[in-house]
Amino acid sequence: MFKNEEMEINLGPQHPSTHGVLRVKLRLDGETITHCRPMIGYLHRGVEKICENQSFFQGQVWTDRMDYCSAVANNLGWAEANEKLFGITVPRRAQYIRTMLNEFNRLASHLIWLATHALDIGAMTVFLYAFREREDILDMNEAFCGSRLTTTAFRIGGLREDLPPGFEKMVQKFLAKFPSCLEEYENLLSENRIWKKRTVGVARLGAEDAIAMGVTGPVLRAAGVPYDIRKAFPYAAYAEMDFEIPTRTEADTYARYLVRMDEMRQSARIIQQCMDGMPEGPVMAKLPKILKPEVNEVYHATEAPKGEIGYYLVGEKGSSNPYRFHVRAPGFINLQSLPKMAEGGLIADIVAAIGTLDIVLGEIDR
Amino acid sequence: MHKILRTLIPFDIAKGLSITGRHFAKVFFTANRRKVPFHIVSEYPEVVARIQPRFRGRLTLLKDEQGEIKCVCCMACEKICPTQVITIEKGKKEGRKMPFPVRYDFEMERCIFCEFCVESCGFDSIILNHQFELAAYNREDFSLGLEGAENMFEPSQVGKFSVADD
Ligand code: SF4
Ligand code: SF4
Repeated sequence: MFKNEEMEINLGPQHPSTHGVLRVKLRLDGETITHCRPMIGYLHRGVEKICENQSFFQGQVWTDRMDYCSAVANNLGWAEANEKLFGITVPRRAQYIRTMLNEFNRLASHLIWLATHALDIGAMTVFLYAFREREDILDMNEAFCGSRLTTTAFRIGGLREDLPPGFEKMVQKFLAKFPSCLEEYENLLSENRIWKKRTVGVARLGAEDAIAMGVTGPVLRAAGVPYDIRKAFPYAAYAEMDFEIPTRTEADTYARYLVRMDEMRQSARIIQQCMDGMPEGPVMAKLPKILKPEVNEVYHATEAPKGEIGYYLVGEKGSSNPYRFHVRAPGFINLQSLPKMAEGGLIADIVAAIGTLDIVLGEIDR
Repeated sequence: MHKILRTLIPFDIAKGLSITGRHFAKVFFTANRRKVPFHIVSEYPEVVARIQPRFRGRLTLLKDEQGEIKCVCCMACEKICPTQVITIEKGKKEGRKMPFPVRYDFEMERCIFCEFCVESCGFDSIILNHQFELAAYNREDFSLGLEGAENMFEPSQVGKFSVADD
């Protein structure tokens, strides 16, 4: 009498919980997902190709526009990859300022993740509270480099300008109130029964699968693997910072939430250390007039808020453009674990799975 | 037993509600007092937005004390601009030793406000102003030149978009 038929539906590309323009092809058996394939490419702009046609100096503006929630972290990777290519040593003060801004960016990115993830699952209050703190960080971005989202914060060889006057006060004011704000979010969510029902045990991804798929960032650390490039291959001033890598072993959405919350605490700690130990001196290295690459290729990986972001640059002799430019985007690699997380689960849980991966489509499609 | 009690009495929900309640009370008792002009959200069109001194707004050409255009057509800004939105034509002017821009076209709709042009200019002849209300109805309004109502020296006219204004 009843025919048991699987139904195929699209989630997205214009769905508020797909964080941009992600389309997910789902095959459903009732409410259970039997088949799930993410379809990407709706936001493709050809950033890699554009950068190959522009000089090393100009390329940075495109990295802003890849992962627009963590533009500073992208800028840092780009600047450091170029410095590696040209063999430039950055002054220590610039390294410290870079580290600090990068951590602020991590906070901003995690806050926007918390806000949207909670909103997807149905907790509206956290959304507004998290955006309130993010606003302060964006104000600091504006004070430092003049722009809030597309920062173009660093230059190859250091920074364009030193910290603006009054920046220290802004940082201290923020650090003084931030722990209590974190507590507020945790009071709202950590024990909340609805939040726990929606996240505990949902979208599991074990350590083995995560490593096999190349997943990095908080998703990997929530599976119990303490891999963080800031510790494994220290860059900027991270070698001098004292911080921990929070890990969990449950490997579910709730564990990823806890890992990210702890990461925010560690970020605040790093910022405090940067402020305390800020060395004096110049912020820009002496550069040759025209940048011509020395070695032929470099790969430089940094720990962006979403995972390992790697820049692969091939320099041509006598040319001021990169011959080949490739980005290893964390969101792109992390997204391929979505079928593993979602298949066999309920359709309502795929929203939690997309949210917990913390993807930004600008970076995935590039 | 403990678990049943916890299920029956929603402590967790009460905890969350107490936070929202506290914030609500705080805003309720301090809102609309003169001393607090805005809390977190500013009443933007009525209250002027606070802009940091380094804010990157629209590209503006500067003039020196004699009212002469400072730009000397070294083409550095044109070359560095990542989106190629500046077009300069070199020319001569009587009584001026340095080259003089006959044309300085700036297509604002493609500018990404990166400030690379200002950085590259060795003669301090351009800045990014603090304007951010740059929307307009017509595409032509984004093409700025040396002359015309929308030019490179004055701030852009702020568009009026609400229907009630007509
Ligand atoms: S701000 Fe950037 S995009 Fe705009 S004109 Fe200057 S260099 Fe070009
Ligand atoms: S860099 Fe400065 S002086 Fe040179 S063309 Fe541009 S505005 Fe004129």
